[in-house]
Amino acid sequence: MVALATSGCMAKGASAPAPIDVPDPTVDPAEPVLHRLTAAQYRNSVHDLFGEDIVIPGPLEPDSALGGLIATGASKVTISSWGVEQYERAAYEIAAQAMAEENRGKFISCTPAAAVDENCAGQTISELGRKIWRRPLDPEEVASLTAISSTVTRALGTFEAGMEFAVASMLQSPNFLFRVELGEPDPANSGARRYSSYEMATRLSYFFWNTTPDSTLLAAAESGALLESEGIAAEARRLLDSPRARAGMRNFFSEMFELYLLDEMVKDPTLFTHFSAELGESAREETLNMLERLVFDDQGDYRDIFTTNRTYVDRRLAAIYNVRAASREGFGEVMLTENDHRRGLLGHVSVLALNAHSVSSSATLRGKFVRTVLLCGEIPPPPVNVNTALPEPSGTAVTLRDRVKEHLTNPNCATCHLAMDPIGLGLENFDGIGRFREKEFGAMIDASSDVDGEEFTNAWELGAVLRDHPDVPRCLARTLYRYAIGNVEVPGEQEQIDSLAAVFANSKYRVRPLLEAIAVSKGFRRAKEPQL
Amino acid sequence: MIKLSRRTVLKGILGGAGVTVGLPALEAMYNGNATALADGTGLPKRFGIFYWGNGVIPEKWVPNGTGSGDAWTLNEQMMPLESLKEHLTVVSGMAVLTGNVIPHGSGAAGILSGAAMSERAGPEDFIFSRPSIDQIIAQEIGKDTRFKSLETGARPSQGLSYNNGTGSVNPPESSPIRLFRRIFNEEFVMPGAEPILNPKIAFRRSVLDAVMNDSNRLRAKLSASDKVRLDQHFDGVRALEQRLERLSLNPPSLAACVMPAQPGEDPPDVEGRPQLHEIQSAITDVLRMALACDQTRVFSNYFSYPVNNVLYPGVSAGHHQLTHDEPGEQPQVNMIVKQIMTELAFFLNQLKEVEEGDGTLLDSCAILCTSDVCFGRTHTIDNYPIIIAGSGGGELKQNYHYKSVSNESVGKVSLSLVNAMGLNHAEFGAGEGRVTQSLSEIEV
Repeated sequence: MVALATSGCMAKGASAPAPIDVPDPTVDPAEPVLHRLTAAQYRNSVHDLFGEDIVIPGPLEPDSALGGLIATGASKVTISSWGVEQYERAAYEIAAQAMAEENRGKFISCTPAAAVDENCAGQTISELGRKIWRRPLDPEEVASLTAISSTVTRALGTFEAGMEFAVASMLQSPNFLFRVELGEPDPANSGARRYSSYEMATRLSYFFWNTTPDSTLLAAAESGALLESEGIAAEARRLLDSPRARAGMRNFFSEMFELYLLDEMVKDPTLFTHFSAELGESAREETLNMLERLVFDDQGDYRDIFTTNRTYVDRRLAAIYNVRAASREGFGEVMLTENDHRRGLLGHVSVLALNAHSVSSSATLRGKFVRTVLLCGEIPPPPVNVNTALPEPSGTAVTLRDRVKEHLTNPNCATCHLAMDPIGLGLENFDGIGRFREKEFGAMIDASSDVDGEEFTNAWELGAVLRDHPDVPRCLARTLYRYAIGNVEVPGEQEQIDSLAAVFANSKYRVRPLLEAIAVSKGFRRAKEPQL
Repeated sequence: MIKLSRRTVLKGILGGAGVTVGLPALEAMYNGNATALADGTGLPKRFGIFYWGNGVIPEKWVPNGTGSGDAWTLNEQMMPLESLKEHLTVVSGMAVLTGNVIPHGSGAAGILSGAAMSERAGPEDFIFSRPSIDQIIAQEIGKDTRFKSLETGARPSQGLSYNNGTGSVNPPESSPIRLFRRIFNEEFVMPGAEPILNPKIAFRRSVLDAVMNDSNRLRAKLSASDKVRLDQHFDGVRALEQRLERLSLNPPSLAACVMPAQPGEDPPDVEGRPQLHEIQSAITDVLRMALACDQTRVFSNYFSYPVNNVLYPGVSAGHHQLTHDEPGEQPQVNMIVKQIMTELAFFLNQLKEVEEGDGTLLDSCAILCTSDVCFGRTHTIDNYPIIIAGSGGGELKQNYHYKSVSNESVGKVSLSLVNAMGLNHAEFGAGEGRVTQSLSEIEV
């Protein structure tokens, strides 16, 4: 058995008060599955392969979430007839830019002896192909692409024209558009299957950077280093030390908290005068900024996302928070106090506005976000044939709290709503876009409630209660693990997630040791034999 | 009726569009109906879906009386369709029998695929376990057209056009200008015009051949479920390759086909409310010519999507929120449903405006108009809302209301539609939703 190589984090964990014993988990992983590149991965990969200034035409085949993540949804989606057209168009536009006079020197390392030079064409295709397909091409693949380039060159007259079609072919191939990670028999464990060295390069790269492997990672793959824990750990550290890991983790949190939905957020502008089409982008930036600082700059305790006083606002958000903007342009740091009524993630416009209706707040939607996304609880869908109408505001039921009382007293509703509404009621002092309010329809808002028995009187205290909720760290470990493997875990991976949660606890809930532990974990490196 | 000089149009689109070379007509590719189409006989049958999200209010929806002609009258919510009643068959009292596990999802999967959602689907993930009816039909009647099917929508969504049981969807186009560019681009050849020959098209075909070869080599190593996913990609590549091949053929003459005007930029939201009518009618202008020019014979149009929270003009909250929260008789929800029916009427009239043979484009269509639930507030999936517009070229009754008294499976309607398109299938759906008999009462 391959031992879980957590030496780095265990060393740090040793200084923790009571490190939890982390046994080597038994893992029975899922069979390998194709992942279609997400739209972000396609764009990142093309820019890394051909240059930041390459213009990629849109739209591309849309992403779809599964189990709360787009990275996981990539295991179910495929490519429609419409998508084939989009990828074809994009491939030719990208290839034409790559082979334009000012760029082609970066990709053609030989000087063609004549317009048709099959040696130089083959060499260029081999070098480019290894990067585009994230593995070396076999001779048959090189020959087929070379034949295309020669035919085109003969008709159109130039070497580059032929290369353009060869590159466009590689970009339309399932070998590029899908991450092909099939695994291979593991010689150290008979009957088991491991991901190959090149496949591990791809897995690590998309996990940490959300893009195609760089040349160092491909070299590590070629050397076979990524078949061993030490080699994987070394590359994981290198990737995480790079500023590009910040972009990678921003993508993860954007998926986990569904911050990409902020682009399409609709609020009634006649009710919310602070709403504008750009608010969503500002709100996302605040949240990702806070997370990036916490994870990378402070190497802080993940649970502090609920209680941190520090946040980052631009003028748009400052107006909603009623604080002074720290800078005229862009984002600046502000320290919130209890007088601001908000702190941490649950005080952010992103979470408050996204988990609300277009005309009002919603204790249920906000509570559901906390319960399912932050605590990984399950909420079954509402039963059929239940009258869901809320009473209109009236003399006896003024606030939303009064009006949703039915949710918590009618046994048909309460089973599920008790898991959501009490948490959301703690955020009722924030309206549908996250502005603080003391009253609703003239009545004072009572934001006191409890989370699983732990009582609080307002949103400020709610943050502290959630910080210490035992489900918070395990939920992050599970979600990050899903993100890494690009799949919803199977029962045979539960021990793996338990083990990662223990590593996380031992590292005082710092995210980086958890990321490194996932990279070397069995679940990330092993597959079941595919059922052909 | 649209009148445009074909000669002017042809000059416009063919000027500079690659090299044009005369070739003998290869009408065999078009089922031999090229000449027949010109005089209006043997027009192709077309299948369509007009879909909206969040259901209806059943007591304001189900028509009064049953049978044909004057024996039945429209109820309040369908009133906007009154002038089109002679083109409609309404079915009520039938149910989705495949369970109601995922609100809005189970109904959508039940009516469109005849089966329950995939077991992989979580409470908020829609994954059909079987192909949707438009793709079942497109597999046959979409084989020979430039596009096997077209998917459109007035709002962006993932759509509900499923190819197979792996969650592979055909995303709808919600931008009128992008839809126009997709169909009426430099590769569009006016029926009756001379074909385009461009050497680059031959190279693009070689590249697509190479991509298919990559796919075949990869396929052997994949799990059974990934094979199905890769096949979906392969089918799309092959369809594109065949589409390029057909550019060198001489398409049949279709009198009703004219180049639609290029739509303007997409209409922006006004006060947080999308201009649904402007978007939908611009899309329909393009879509109806895609049909009249025989670029496709199958379409799915999602006016709105399940669980959509669109803010309609004159209402106080998003559609989905209102269906649940609005108390009493739900006057605002009622107003929204009537607004959607007004849009459906407009859509059908746009098809009806296109004269074709002795009738109109609408006559050759069978359009399934439906939603994801019956009553939005409670997510019911019995007494399912179903309208069929157009007779599918004379195969289906018109001006008819069929009311089931025994909670029959909606799959029977689907099987009638599949067979009205000439497919001659013996069954539709799976599990509790599987039917082996069509709804003969609505068939001619």
